[in-house]
Amino acid sequence: MISKKISESMKGSSWIRAMFEEGERLKKQYGDANIFDFTLGNPIAEPPRELKKELIKIITSEEKGMHRYMTNSGYEDVREEIAGFHRERTGLPFTKEHIIMTVGSAGGINVILKSLIDPGDEVIVLNPYFVEFKFYIENHGGVMRLVDTKDDFHLDLKNIKNAIHEKTKAIIINSPNNPTGVIYDEEELRGLASILYESNKKVFLISDEAYRKIIYDGIKFPDMFSIYEDTIAITSHSKDLALPGERIGYIAISPRIEDAQQIIDAAIFSNRILGFINAPAIMQRLVKGFQKNSVDIADYQKKRDAIYDILIQSGYEVVKPLGAFYIFPKSPIEDDIEFIRHLQRYHILAVPGTGFGRKGYFRIAYCVEMGVIERSAPYFREAIKNIGGF
Amino acid sequence: MLVSNTIKKQMEETGWIRRMFEEGINMKKIHGDANVFDFSLGNPFIEPPEQLIRALIDTLNDPVPGMHRYMPNNGYEEVRDEIAVYLREFYNMPFTAEHVYMSAGSAGGINILLKSMLNSGDEVIVPKPYFMEYKYYIESHGGAIKTVSTDEQFQLDMEKIDAAITPKTKAILINSPNNPTGVVYGEEKLRELAEILTDYRKKGKDIYIISDDAYKKLVFDNITLPNIFKIYDLVISVTSHSKDLAVPGERIGYIAISPKIKEVKSLISALMFSSRALGFVNAPALFQRVIGKFQKNSIDIMDYQEKRDFIYNTLIEAGFECVKPQGAFYVFPKSPMKDELKFVKLMQEEERILAVPGRGFGKSGYFRIAYCVPFDKIVRAADGFKNMGKRYIRKG
Repeated sequence: MISKKISESMKGSSWIRAMFEEGERLKKQYGDANIFDFTLGNPIAEPPRELKKELIKIITSEEKGMHRYMTNSGYEDVREEIAGFHRERTGLPFTKEHIIMTVGSAGGINVILKSLIDPGDEVIVLNPYFVEFKFYIENHGGVMRLVDTKDDFHLDLKNIKNAIHEKTKAIIINSPNNPTGVIYDEEELRGLASILYESNKKVFLISDEAYRKIIYDGIKFPDMFSIYEDTIAITSHSKDLALPGERIGYIAISPRIEDAQQIIDAAIFSNRILGFINAPAIMQRLVKGFQKNSVDIADYQKKRDAIYDILIQSGYEVVKPLGAFYIFPKSPIEDDIEFIRHLQRYHILAVPGTGFGRKGYFRIAYCVEMGVIERSAPYFREAIKNIGGF
Repeated sequence: MLVSNTIKKQMEETGWIRRMFEEGINMKKIHGDANVFDFSLGNPFIEPPEQLIRALIDTLNDPVPGMHRYMPNNGYEEVRDEIAVYLREFYNMPFTAEHVYMSAGSAGGINILLKSMLNSGDEVIVPKPYFMEYKYYIESHGGAIKTVSTDEQFQLDMEKIDAAITPKTKAILINSPNNPTGVVYGEEKLRELAEILTDYRKKGKDIYIISDDAYKKLVFDNITLPNIFKIYDLVISVTSHSKDLAVPGERIGYIAISPKIKEVKSLISALMFSSRALGFVNAPALFQRVIGKFQKNSIDIMDYQEKRDFIYNTLIEAGFECVKPQGAFYVFPKSPMKDELKFVKLMQEEERILAVPGRGFGKSGYFRIAYCVPFDKIVRAADGFKNMGKRYIRKG
């Protein structure tokens, strides 16, 4: 009864399940506290206290009609607030029309891809990548074109340039990046922009900014809207406000796009017919006043420092992440899946790079308690020390 | 081309609806909200039950750590358990938490279900008139919609359904109580449908019934909705709490898979995959936590029934031909003019009454009135309907 395509897609990722089940087995055997689970990007951080207070305030407000349908693009006052935040941040004439509230960034990316793609259109994705991008693109008849990044996971402009051709409709970038934690700097993004401008085709830049506020070391996040005209940014409040289960985010369509209105109309329509209808009402109201807030970034930075130090001191090769809550070390042996199994023997759960299109690496999601990171140190050390058998 | 050709074409198809809405908005600006009778939207003005709001407040005042985090894609197990208990009692079938999948309303539920089931070119039968979005839902996932006319009373026409079945048929999507007609399919009709489908099953062709149960609790005149899970084996029901608990903006509902479907495990895995791939990921966490306890509740059905009575009587007195609805909050009268779009526009201009032309539901010559509005709106619109009747309905 299941769609063939879905069965195939699911089969392709069956090893993830096997790994997950092994993790569950280990937890049962040794107890949760004795297993270091770094597999999930499901932050343990709680939403900011003021946000929780605001949520109660909204629900007790007795305002009529607050759980009804609203326009598919979301509440006007919420979109106006977000537009204001964008005007201030970018200096560009954003209005509420340029903002569409969505069911998280996963919902937002699907909406925008459905709005843009015709069957056979290509979307460039930079490898390593969040695998769901492939499914998002294929949902709407598109074809994913994978382009490798450089050894430090930064943009390989030459590779990107070579991948652009007549069928190219968009490129998705995700910075700060899942799985590498890398942030693209202004210079390389300007380089990307000039490649896109030079191509004789309008290529949209879809900027997945789910981790935008989670950046370290006082780095300033480059503003994509100023760098490239045809930019559509997708934001989620899953990470910065720690509300992943509530499914809230938005699409920001650059006012610099010629005929932006066409894309806006298509996105509103797609939001409806994909079955989202609108982003959850109460969460829209909630995030309105929290555009400048975020969870405690310093806390994530401390965790980043701790895990990075542990890995380096144990002898792993790794690029120091500047954002998000992932780190993507090189696997000490070529077969990353085998190494993940090896780590499991040391009670460490992580995801092989294969799951992100890049063999020979593995991903650690350090959005866990600091204690888990600290206690894992000797296990990481032992694991790399004892790979002689391979 | 800037935007997708498919989307562009689909948007053009419905462009006239948009233009009408815009005219309506314009009219409200000129005459004031109070003087425009807007029956065009299925957006109930009713508030959710007070206990539901209280439950939300209690949940937030006594927060569980991690209550806004991701959970398994199919939803919280304890909530699915609560729903399964209700389903066992309501349908007298051995539902467990495993048969329940929490979804972002029924629109979200139907989309992940269709994506999980359809192969490219598979056909889904939809009785007409129908909720237009079904077409897009089906097409989004590579399927083809096959509409089949209902009879004069908007009841299922078995001969036509039988004739529409091909080797490509994967499912029939029914919606009872129905949008836009308010009709409820009786037990006998559904048994006839089951008979046809069972015949195909015997020949090795499985056809599923996808039952859009968004209006399940909105039935009038003490009617009991037939137990579809007992009538046919291959049933998947999609429920929304948009209407019965009046929280449409919050996007919460669930899919219930018949315990008689053997592949329930693989269907659940497919649904999990589809909800991740389509970007739903999971149904909103906060509302999942409360709705498990409200499976037996609903907003005041008598209130809707009184509105149904008033609008129906008004229409009949005005001379309209109209099937009496037994559920939902829609009524679907015949247009006195063959070109119902023209009639709807006249009604808008002359009486400031907004309705949706039947072609918006694949059935020209009719129009839909959504009476989920304050009672006094309906009362004050009565004269307008009567005037339209006097002007445009030929007597005898």
